[in-house]
Formats: sequence, structure tokens, C-alpha cells
Amino acid sequence: MLNDDLTIILTAGLVATAAGLLGPFLVLRRVALMSDAVSHAVLPGIVLVYLLLGTRAPLPVIAGAAVFAIICVLAIEALRSTGLVKSDAAIALVFPALFALGVLGVTRYASGVHLDLDATIYGEIAFAPFQTVAIGGLEIARSIVLLGTVALGNLALVTLLWKEYKATTFDPQFSRTIGISPALLSRLLLIAVAITAVTAFESVGAILVVTMLIVPAAAAYLLTNRLWAMVVVTVAVGWVSAVGGHAAATAVDASIAGAMGLVAAICFAVALVASPRHGLLARAVQRRRRRRALQARLAGSH
Amino acid sequence: MGWLIDLIPLDYSDAVVVLGAMLLGVTAGAVGVFAVLRQRSLVGDALSHAALPGVCIAFIATGAKDATTLLAGAAVAGLVGALLMVGIERTGRIRPDAAIGVVLSSFFSLGIVLLTYIANTDNSNQAGLEKYLFGQAAGLLERDVVVMGVLALVALTLVTIGFRPLKTTLFDPDFAGAVGLPVRALEIAMTALLVIAVVIGLRMVGAILMVAMLVAPAVVARQFAGRLALVIPLAAAIGAAVGVSGTLLASRGEVPTGPVIVLVAVACVVVAVLVAPRRGVLWRARRLARSRRRTLAEGVLVDLETAIHAGPPLTAGELALASARPARALRRALRDLDRAGMIRRDGERLYLSEPGAAAAHAVLERRELWSAWLEHGSELDVPDAREPDPADLRASLGDEYADRLHALMRAADG
Repeated sequence: MLNDDLTIILTAGLVATAAGLLGPFLVLRRVALMSDAVSHAVLPGIVLVYLLLGTRAPLPVIAGAAVFAIICVLAIEALRSTGLVKSDAAIALVFPALFALGVLGVTRYASGVHLDLDATIYGEIAFAPFQTVAIGGLEIARSIVLLGTVALGNLALVTLLWKEYKATTFDPQFSRTIGISPALLSRLLLIAVAITAVTAFESVGAILVVTMLIVPAAAAYLLTNRLWAMVVVTVAVGWVSAVGGHAAATAVDASIAGAMGLVAAICFAVALVASPRHGLLARAVQRRRRRRALQARLAGSH
Repeated sequence: MGWLIDLIPLDYSDAVVVLGAMLLGVTAGAVGVFAVLRQRSLVGDALSHAALPGVCIAFIATGAKDATTLLAGAAVAGLVGALLMVGIERTGRIRPDAAIGVVLSSFFSLGIVLLTYIANTDNSNQAGLEKYLFGQAAGLLERDVVVMGVLALVALTLVTIGFRPLKTTLFDPDFAGAVGLPVRALEIAMTALLVIAVVIGLRMVGAILMVAMLVAPAVVARQFAGRLALVIPLAAAIGAAVGVSGTLLASRGEVPTGPVIVLVAVACVVVAVLVAPRRGVLWRARRLARSRRRTLAEGVLVDLETAIHAGPPLTAGELALASARPARALRRALRDLDRAGMIRRDGERLYLSEPGAAAAHAVLERRELWSAWLEHGSELDVPDAREPDPADLRASLGDEYADRLHALMRAADG
């Protein structure tokens, strides 16, 4: 019973929440680009589901995509563990290969039907209000139900394993000595990222998820020094982008997901320049003060 | 370029695509090495996504869907993105991966907004702008290939001229700065080279697949060569081979060129990672298996030697009981020893042959020397601070120190 605008904002906000809970860990572990990799690697899964079952219903599509997201994560891990390929190169090899398989599948077998790479497969947030489900007599947008579930799942994961994730993120050696396996937790995190990304693509499109996983967390990293504060600020920046982006998009009649991404980028730019501790301005002031102090000391010594 | 196209024994349109793929492979292979070795393999990802707003702005500015103009827009946007990435990393707080991610998603969001803006302006010409992101090798014209050839030449010339300073900056930026090289400018130059490759690749394989084209040849070349001066030409050659074979495969199977090229490239990586001499996974596995087998045979040899001193010669069954080794491993070791002529058989009984006894004594001597090293090594003032090779201690310490170790051992025992 929500109106359309509110549904769109709520959907984007839930994406911001689900992604914002995981994003800080991705940024801190230096695997932020895993989200982009997963977002492309799921294509063959979606195509395969369409070819085998002939459906674009959300649950089979999410399942098929999730399988390939996990294949992507494991393949990157396998390539990296040979010690011959660095993790960034492994990412850069695996996801284009999977994406290429998907493109081949689309053009070879599905070119007749409307399986357009951009819109249909990767979702469009403007259509979120039109797909509804009835829960207890209430008509609710399907995207809100799906993303709400994922957000709750991520919340449970992060709060239940908070200590463990904190330890493995900042000091993997230490966490290994006290019996927490960094590899296991990292795999779990990436699977959560994959499920979040896949669910969110279906309702809001790939680029918005990737943006929400990386940009708010990067902005928050510039503004905070404690992990819990970083997570809170990340989710907050995500919501600001959702609300601000929607307002901007309706004002100038532009793509909603694009506008939300741009607002997130502006938030990051502001943090980059004006963060009180790590911003470019603060660093310039610091550098000047240090130079002055040095000059004063040198002048005093003569 | 006409004569080059005539040289290729294919019909005209296929020859154009093959030539384009080759140019792409050479350029992407050569400049991708820098991205891979700087551990910024995914810079190409950000640059190719940045192409979308560039293409859109070029279209809005000129109103024409001319390939060269649009690619120029993509190149400018790529350069801006590259500068932004360097700027973001300068804070020191944001790591390369997050910087790449931020640039990628911001530019792509901008591109999507611009696409909707263009769609709203009702310009009938606008259809298919986003095709630039997926690449369309089939529609390649000779004119496009000429542009690609010029760009490739520029990139390769820059790499050749700037080889030394680029190499220094790549491996030791601090040293490069200390000797007065413009490190920041050189780092931007490396990214600018990637922009050139991405612009060539956009038309051929599309933005997303371009990422792998930059990385795969460099990774393959790195498995076979250890010097930058070899890795770069090797990567260029591999890139060209991948481009040409991928194009031919695709035209035979009548499927899109870009994905096939990328799949061939990644298949090459998998093969290289498995079989590369000395480094490859299979190579290392074989070396490990061999050394295990040798150690096992040596162990059995020593078991035999001790057993012969303790009592009457053993049968294989008795040896298995005495040495508590699994029967299969023992059989295998005995077969190896047989083949090497180390043992003689008298009916069921096993004897050491002349060379076998010598080998057993050599193994025992080596083991003794190793335990002497562990116990008394600290009493030697070895000039070389490095840890000696445990597999052949005598050779790595030298005879003099080995003899002194024996003397120390004997002194401690007696």
C-alpha cells in the first residue's frame, strides 16, 4: 500500500543497508572490486536458467546467478592460491571469462527472444513498484520483501560474527592463532556479497549494487576510525544517496539508479576533500603547519 | 593498411577483423604488463566503464555518431578517470582497489544519467550508443583499423622510448624518485597507455571483456619469462596470437568475436599456470612427487643397510615389518632401487649391491652431517650468513666446514 516513490526509495535504502553492512569489510580487506566481478560473472547463470527453464522469475534466476557468483569467487580463490597470479589479476581474468560465456549464450541461443543484457537481466529500479506480492493481505513490492530478507540476513551475519570479522579483517595472523579461520570467514563474506548482489540486481540493476557496495564504504573510511562507526556511516551515506538520488532523478527526469550513484559519488568527493582527519584539505593544512613549524625551528636555531 | 589486408589469406571483411584483433592483442599485451605488475589489473575495468560517459558527452557535443569522435570522448573520459584514481590514492587512506571501484561506479552512474538525458532529447540518431560497451567486431571498417594501427604504434613507441624510466618506476618508485625521475608523471603515463589500449579494445571486444585482454597476455608471459624486457614483447606476441586465433575461431563458429577472444586468452592463462616450466602447478607437483620418491628409496636403502648389520639378510616381507612402511610404498621403493642396480636378490633375500652400499653410506653420512649441523652449527663461524641447503650440506658449506663439523661431533661423542 505504499506509493511508488516511497517504494523506490525504500528499495534503494534496503540495498544501501544490505550492501552497507558488507561494504566496509570489502574495502578494509582490499577486495572492493569483488562486487563488480560478481555482478558480471552471474550472467551465464541467468542465461542458463532462461535456456533450461525458459523463465525469468526471480527465484530461479537468483538461484542460477548465485551458483555462478560462487563459482566466480571459488575460481578466483583457486587461481590466487597457485601463488602465480596476484588476486587483482585473478579477478580480472575470471569475471570477463564468465561474462564472455554469458554473452555467447545470449547471442547463440537466446537472440530471438527479448533477453536484453542491460535492462531485463540486470533489473531497473523504476519498475520496482510494479511487481508486488501479497503478505497478510497487504500488497508489498516484491523487491522490498526480497531485499529486506537479504538485509536482515546480512545484519545477522555481521552481528553474530562481529568479533570474528573484526579480528580477521585487521589481523589475520592473530585470528589464526586464536583459532578463527580467515579463509573460511572470507569465503562466507564473499558468498554473502554474491547473494546480496544477485538479489539486488534483479530489482535495482547491477551498477547501483556495485556502487552501494564500494562508494559509501570508501567515503565512510575517510570519515571514521572505528569499525562500528564506519558501518553506521556507510549505511547512512547509502540512505542519503537513495533519498537524494531519487529526488534529483525526479527533478530532472533522469535514470534513478544513475542519479543515486552520482549522489553517492558526490558524498565520497566531499569526504575526500573535507574529511577532518584524512581529507585532502586537512592534509594540506597539516603539511603547511608542519612546514611553518620547521621553518620557525630552523629560524630559532640560528 | 590496404596491402596488409591483402596479405592475409582471407576474404576482405574477415581480414580487416583479424588485423584489428592483432593490433588490439599487441597493444593490450604490451601495456597490460604494467597494470599487472603494479597490481592494478582492474584499472582497465574502471577505464572501460569510464568510456560510457565519454561516449555520451562526445555524442551530446557533436550530435553525430562518428566512431572516431566517440572514441576520442572515451579516451578523454578515461584520462580524467585515471587522474582521479591517482588523486584519490594520494590521500593514502583509500587503497587502489577502492579507488578503482569509486571511479568505476561514479563514471558509469554518470554515463547512465547521460544516456537517459540523450534518450529524452528525442534525437533519432541515439540508438545503439551503449553498443560501444559490448563491442562489435563484425562491423569493423578499414578506416577503424587504420585508427587502431596509429594508436597501437603510438603506444608501442612510448613503451620503447620510455622503457628504462618506466621500468625503474614500476619496480622501485622510491628509488626512481630519489634519482630524479618524475614518478607521478610516469605513473600517469602508464595508465595513459592503458587508456590507449582500452580505446582500441572498445570497438573490438567491448568494455567488460577488455579487462581480460589487458591482463591475460601479461600473466601468461610472466609465467615464461622473468625479465621485463622479455615479458613485454612476449605478452605482445601472445596477445596477437590470441587475437588472431580467437577471431578465426569465432568466424568459423559464427559467434561474436569478443567473447571468443577472451575465452581463448583465459584458456591460455589456465594452461600456462598449469604447465609453465619450473613455476607451473603440474611442474611443481611432479617435482614434489619425484623428491618424495627419492627420499623414500633412500630411506629403504638405509633400512636395508641397518638390517644387514643387525642380522641375516631380510626378505621383502620381513623388511616391511622391520621398517613399518606401507607395503605399496616399499614395493615401489624396491623397484626403483632394483632399477638403479642398488640391490641384489638371492631368492627371496635382499642384499645391497656394491653401489647400493656406497649410496647407503653416503645417505648416512649426509644425515650425520645434518644432525651435526643442528647440534654444533652455531659453534662454526661460517662466513656466509645464509642458511645452507639441507639437501646437500657438504656442497653448500664446503669440505672444510663439513670436516670441522665431523670433528666437533666426534669430540662431543668421545
